[in-house]
Amino acid sequence: MLNDLEKKRYSRQICLFGEDGQRRLKKTGAFIAGAGGLGSIISIYMAAAGFGMIRIVDCDSVELSNLNRQVLHWSGDVGTSKAASAKDTLEGINPEIEVEAMEETISIENIDQLLSGCDIIMDAMDNFPTRYILNKAALKKKIPLFHGAICGYQGQATTIIPGKTACLRCTFPRAPPVTTFPALGSTCGVIGSIQVTEAVKYVLGSGGLLENRLMLWDGLSSSMDEVACARNPSCQDCREAGLEREDN
Amino acid sequence: MPDGSRKEMTVSVASIEEILKELHINPVEVVVAKNGKIVPEEETASSADELKIVRVVHGG
Repeated sequence: MLNDLEKKRYSRQICLFGEDGQRRLKKTGAFIAGAGGLGSIISIYMAAAGFGMIRIVDCDSVELSNLNRQVLHWSGDVGTSKAASAKDTLEGINPEIEVEAMEETISIENIDQLLSGCDIIMDAMDNFPTRYILNKAALKKKIPLFHGAICGYQGQATTIIPGKTACLRCTFPRAPPVTTFPALGSTCGVIGSIQVTEAVKYVLGSGGLLENRLMLWDGLSSSMDEVACARNPSCQDCREAGLEREDN
Repeated sequence: MPDGSRKEMTVSVASIEEILKELHINPVEVVVAKNGKIVPEEETASSADELKIVRVVHGG
């Protein structure tokens, strides 16, 4: 049930997808991997939209060089843990939701525990090795993974529904080299917003998702493009999860 | 091409891997869509195909 304050807070969404839709968001637990540039946008919009439980995980502390894009964290947060800073900001945005912020490094060993009680995974990581851990966990638990990544003016996003769409490894079989990437806050804004929109639509069961579609944003030319993805019959992650060729 | 430019190549049949090598592009840094669909490096292409080489970004 939505209380009177919630009905008022979410009134512009309720006129979009009804109280039933809002209740669905309230019942959804979202795992947000990372409280950096993408994680800031994702967590702020998910908190504001009323996802009932948000668990955000990051192992780092806030640095001055983060502040051009990581809008969860403010100047006074420099030196504090991103998890604690995230919790403060998100609870300030929406006290009606439950926010769990954990200062942890995501690993194969702890991912199952971190995902406990979560219905969806938001990819806000800055590297592919950890993304592959999220991918495997999503396939194993059969919960969706909303992928996003950025570099400078460029970004990409796709929605992974285990057993139905290409997984992250199907589309990106190998991790690109790790480099210090340039980052513009507004690029995080574009991609993170797309990821949240996808998550909202998934929960509501409305619209069309970025299923088997890799969306590409080029802020330099202000253009959006997409390419099709497909499940790879020889994907090792799908095979390990027992999901190979299930849709064929 | 990853920088947004277009390049025409004349090949009979070659693997994506060979085409990337010819273009001096590190295959680890890109995914390649053949006629709009991402394909593995082992896939082959000819002059009749349109390839889109997308640089994979990893930041967050």
